[in-house]
This record gives sequence, C-alpha cells and structure tokens, in this order.
Amino acid sequence: MSMFARAHPGRTRLIAALARYAENRVAAVALTLFLLLALAAFAAPWIAPQNPYDLAQLDILDARLPPGSAAAAGELTYRLGTDAQGRDMLSAMLYGLRISLTVGFAATAGALALGLVVGLASALAGGSIDAFIMRVADLQLAFPAILIALILLAALGPGPGKIVLALIAAQWAYYARAVRGVALVEREKDYIAAVRLLGLAPPRILFVHLLPNCLPALIVVATLQVGAAIALEATLSFLGVGLPVTQPSLGLLIANGFQYLLSGKYWISVFPGLLLLTLILAINLVAERLRVLINPRLDGI
Amino acid sequence: MSTLLRLVYAAVFACALTAAQARDADDLVVGFAADVSSLDPHFLNAVPNVAAAAHIFDALVHVDPDGKLVPGLALSWQAVDPTTWEFKLRRGVKFHDGSEFTAEDVVFSLDRPAKVVNSPGPFTSYTRQIAAKQVVDAYTVRLKTPAPYGPLPLDLTTIYMVSKKAAAQASTEDFNAGRAAVGTGPFKFVAFRRGESIELARNDAYWGGKPAWQRVTLRLLTNDAARTAALLAGDVDAIEAVPTPDIARFKSNPAFRLEQKVSWRTIFWQMDLSRDQTPFVTDKAGRPLPHNPLRDLRVRQALSKAINRQALVERTMEGLAIATGNIVIPGIVGHVDALAPEPYDLAGAKRLLAEAGYPDGFALTLHGPNNRYVNDEQVVQTVAQMLTRAGIATRVETMPLSSYFGRARAGEFSFALLGWGSLAGDSALRSLLATPNPDIGWGGFNWGRYSNAELDKLVRAALGETDAARRADFAGRAVQLAMAERALIPLYHQYATWVMRKGLAYRARVDEFTLAQFFHPQ
Repeated sequence: MSMFARAHPGRTRLIAALARYAENRVAAVALTLFLLLALAAFAAPWIAPQNPYDLAQLDILDARLPPGSAAAAGELTYRLGTDAQGRDMLSAMLYGLRISLTVGFAATAGALALGLVVGLASALAGGSIDAFIMRVADLQLAFPAILIALILLAALGPGPGKIVLALIAAQWAYYARAVRGVALVEREKDYIAAVRLLGLAPPRILFVHLLPNCLPALIVVATLQVGAAIALEATLSFLGVGLPVTQPSLGLLIANGFQYLLSGKYWISVFPGLLLLTLILAINLVAERLRVLINPRLDGI
Repeated sequence: MSTLLRLVYAAVFACALTAAQARDADDLVVGFAADVSSLDPHFLNAVPNVAAAAHIFDALVHVDPDGKLVPGLALSWQAVDPTTWEFKLRRGVKFHDGSEFTAEDVVFSLDRPAKVVNSPGPFTSYTRQIAAKQVVDAYTVRLKTPAPYGPLPLDLTTIYMVSKKAAAQASTEDFNAGRAAVGTGPFKFVAFRRGESIELARNDAYWGGKPAWQRVTLRLLTNDAARTAALLAGDVDAIEAVPTPDIARFKSNPAFRLEQKVSWRTIFWQMDLSRDQTPFVTDKAGRPLPHNPLRDLRVRQALSKAINRQALVERTMEGLAIATGNIVIPGIVGHVDALAPEPYDLAGAKRLLAEAGYPDGFALTLHGPNNRYVNDEQVVQTVAQMLTRAGIATRVETMPLSSYFGRARAGEFSFALLGWGSLAGDSALRSLLATPNPDIGWGGFNWGRYSNAELDKLVRAALGETDAARRADFAGRAVQLAMAERALIPLYHQYATWVMRKGLAYRARVDEFTLAQFFHPQ
C-alpha cells in the first residue's frame, strides 16, 4: 500500500526509500535545505554571534546599522545589519528560526495527536457520536484558523507555549476529518472485520490495527500542516499577539522592520522574510513529494 | 506563505493607488492617526475625539498653537470674586441651523457631560468643579465653584458648546448620525463613517473667518505605513503623527513640507509606590522580595540615572523628542527651568542600588502600550536594555491600549509607561501624583498610588490660586517636590509632526491637534 511496505527490509529499505524520494531533484534540494535550516536552528546558541534575547548584549547606539557594519563598542560585525534595538539580525534570525520550527512542529504534533484520537474514535463509534464530533469539527473549520488563534491568544497572553496551544486549537479539526475519512474506508476492509470477529477489544482494534494503516495519509497532511503552522505563527507574531517583543520570532522581526521598508532600511524585514519564505517553501516541497510517493496513483504527475 | 502573499498583494495594491485622484482646489483631505469613536463632543475625553469635534463645535475658550488661552465663544473671562468666574459671550454667533448662540446653550452644554451614558472617558473632571451656573443675561454667564479654582478657563477649552435646541434630548447616536451635530464651528457635519472617515462642509457664516476649504474629509488611517502610503499616493493632502522612520525621507523630498513642534506630551514611568509587595518586582530567581524596592528613593534615583536619555532620544526616537527632567514643557505653568534631565550615570546607579541593599539588582517587568505614543514599544525595550546594564534583570510586556490603561488603573503593574499632555503643571500633578480620590476627581492616573500630603497641599494651593504669578510659584514648588522624590521618572517630551503636500501650510500645534481650519494654501 505504500512504498515503505513494498521495499526491502531494514537499512536497505530506508536507502531505497531515500533514493526513490531523490528521483525528484527539486525535492532532494528542498529536503537538504530544510535539514540545513533545522541544523542551524538547533545550533543557534553556539553559532550565533550574539544572544539576541539577552538585553545586556544589545546596544541602542548600534540601532538600525546596515549589513556589514561594525559595533560601536566591541568586536562584533553585524553581517546582516541590526534592528531598531541594535539587535544583530543574523543572530535574531537564527533564534527566530528556532522558535518558528519548535512552535511549528510542537503544534503539529499536538494537533495530530488530538485529531488522531478524535477522528479514530469518531469513525469507530459511528452514528450520533460520529455526527456530533464531525459537526463540532465543521463548526470549527467554518472559522478561519487565524481568527481562532487570535481570540485564544488575546485571552491567554503571549508566550511560546500559548502559541502552540492556540495553533493546536486552530488545526486539530483538519486532522480529525482526515483521519476519520481514512478510518471509515479502512473500517470496511476485511482485516478489520476479521479482528472484530476475533472479539478483540475496541481500543486494541483502534490502536493496533486501524491506526497504523491510517498513518501514511496522515504523515502527508501533517507535513503540509507544519508549513501552515509556521506561517500562522509568523502571522500571529506579525500582528503582535504571539511572542514577547524581546524574543522576536521571524514574524515579529518582519513586523518590526515593516515600518522601515519605505525608508530604505530594507534589511530588518527582507532577510527574515526571505528566511521564512525559504523555510516554508522547503517544507511544502518535501510534503508534496511525500504525497506523490505515498499515493502511487499520483506517481509521475 | 499566506502572510507573504498578503504583503505582496498589499504592495501591488499600494502601487495601483499611486494615480492621484482629481480633487477640487478647495477640497482638503487629512489623514488622522487615531480612531475617532464618536462625534458626540461629550462622549470620550481623548485627543482624537476632541480634535474631530473642534471642526464642528467651538468651546468658550480656545487654545492657540503655542498653548496660550485665547477667546473662543467667550470674548473675555475674569474671576469676579474668588469663587465666581464670569464669561462674556461673543454676540451674533449662529449655529449651523441658523439659531443664535446664547447663554442658555452654555448652561446646557456644561450640564450635558454628566448626562452622557456609557462614556469610556468622561468630561466630568472638567465640569465637576462647577457648583452653580447663572445666566446673567443672554451674553453673560457666571460659574460658581465651591472653593477658589484657577484653572476653570483651561478646563473649559475641552468642553464644546452644543445647541440646546438641536441636542435637547439627543443621545450620542444622534450626534454620530448628524441629527444633533449642530455646532457653531468652522465646518458643518456631512457624514461620519465609523472607522473610515468624517466628511465636513464649510460654514460660510463662521465668526472666526471663512476657512480656505469648501469640503474637508478627515480620513482615519491608524496604520502608520498606510498613512504614509496614502500621502505618497496623493490620496490625502496631509497627515498627522508622521511615522519616525519616514520623517527623513519627507524632509528631503521637495514635494512635501514637514512641520514639527515640541508637543505638550511628556513620556514617563509610573511606579508602584504604595504597596510593600508589588507584582512585577522579584529577586533574580523569581522569588518575592521582602520589600518593594521602588519605595526606596535611592532605587528610583538609580533607575533614573541608568537611563541614557540622550541615546533614547537620538536613536529610538530618531531625534523626535527632547530629554526632560520636568513634568510639563517649557513656557507653561509648572515648568521649572532648574530641573535638567537626569544625567546618565551608570556607575552612580550601581552605587545607589548597592547602598539601597541591592548590589546584585533585582528582576523587574516593564509594561507599556504598543499603539499609543510615538515608538512606545521600542522605547520600553530600550529602557529595559539600559536598566539591564545597571544590573536589573528586565522583562518587557507591551499590549494594545484597550487592555493597557484598564490594567494599569487596576494597579496590575509595577513599572509602567505613560504619556501625559497638559497645559499646566498643577493640573497634571492633580491627575498623576495627587492622592487618589475619585470623589473629587484627583489622582485618576496615579497608577502607583503615590501619596504625599505636602504635594497635595501645594497642588491644592496652586489650583485654588487665581493670581497667575502666585499660582505659578505653587505649581513650580509642587513639581520640584515631585521630581526630588522621583515620584515619577520623566524621559522626554515628544515632537508632534505633520507632513503635507507642497503648496499647503500648517502651523504646528503644541496640543497635537490637527485642525483643517488652520491649513492654508501657500
């Protein structure tokens, strides 16, 4: 049913899968780029020239310096310039990338877990419970995700943990619907009928038999949604409701530089903007490739 | 992705707008920087509302661009005895509906603020002092106060005169719809589109001289970038509150003309000075301290010395402010020339903190608004940065005005940014540092609940003084006392800025008001 199931066992199976993935050069470049960005984000505290979240390391006298300027005091060279508080843009972008990725993946994992449980339960229960859960999901999907997240954050206040919560609340319904759709198809298949006749308990059927067979489709949805979650986080930060102003993520950096765009100080907005664009593009290209691979009918399209 | 797409669309849209719309020579479109919530001049006491009302209505006393009181609908005023002010009204003034303005309208307009329902910021602090209103004849009104009260003419610059005939039973909604928006001002109401624009037409019978504009539109452009873009595109003729990053560009562009002036607004820190445990000061590990360090004068001096006002003004404010050690701007009652801005002295700050028993500092959260004052959010961050150098572990929390003022008033903060515009030091102190007492309207913005009997006495003496020189003396002593105590930490006076297309002129105003009647073709 998927490439993973068809391939050879063990390590060779992974290599074969990677080789198959890399048949599409663009997707291969995107994956490499994504891994590099993830590595840079992970290593930010060690490779960034400055800790942009430590106010003691900032100097207002270095505010809004163009790329390549030297700090008024000390050895630092601001390779990508500084923002309005004298923050090194390169460091701020590395730390911002870290926040964006962490928030994006944590929110996706949380929403996936919640959506999975709700969707499976809904499919398995059927009847009025199914109808009820799906109407709740419909209701939620009728509101734009940004609106739900905005309202929640306005109530909860700023902070990375709260952004993750808001994103989970905004996105779980996508997964619930996707899982339910797949599970409904799987439920009617013979192997489920077989284990039911064996008299296995519903939780066992759910997690041991139904879940693994729904996963491939979900992985595709989740990869796409990571990109969406990161973009949503950036939007919320851009609107000023996401993170504290002293810990800018990519969206907040773009927002801070926005007002300087017309006055020629392009670097405050443009560099984080390009980084965000690259990150989301890479993730979407990877997700698209996975979608093609996991759904053989689309192969070659 | 969607964020970026939206930005691209916005850019394309902005370019598409560059084709300037054709307008008649006697039309004026002005971009306002803040939302006007109502055209009821007695609904909300906030600069945007009051400035919008000033197009349609007049007050008894007007304020000139330099902050001096000049005759409005009253030709003259004087204290006939210590508790009675007499106002002589201008004769022959007509409302927009043709009826004549008389003393009856004055009494009605002074009564009305107390009757407005659901006001988010009432005008009653200006009318509360009036105990009795007496119509001597159609053009003379006497106002009695329970105690001598000097600033009454100043208070009345903010109370606009409405028509008793048109507004007798009128609600705020009737003003917004235009039914009751009948004033004596230079422009007549045409339309009010909430959150969008206010349209006005010239009042040809205006007593103060015919304005240069037949039709005026006040467009509400609260987004900084949008306001600049609208002017660049020619959609508006002038804007107020020019975003600081754009000022240099407008200055160097011969197609525009920039006007700026030190505004009456002082930006400063309010501190929790009343409670021994304050919510946002802890030790560096986040544990509560035995006492609130902000109550120690040495700590307040240290915090003030740790702030490099010159750097703040030059870098964060990009030169659009002047550092200050005063509460009100030069040239008005209560300004003390001897009070210079506190010099930046990091070593001295650390020494004072050590003397006060905090050699390693403490942790402090700075609160501020992010959509009220010029660069407010940046200023909070910069000050946090400066305090960090003195050994304070700082956190910054900024929020929109809608939640900020309410929380500050409830005493939820320890160290909070506030801006205050006033044309007298004694009235400013009455709101900012006098012992809070809602019954008499004192200390309404005294967020730290500072209380000093000596200061209260001086403020009361100044306010009760109708002799200008003696009042200035009391007000000056009150300001000196407050500053010696560092009861608040002043930062700077901000500039008010306007930029307009070439061929227009505007006299910059100290009160930051943008008034279409004072724009002239050159």
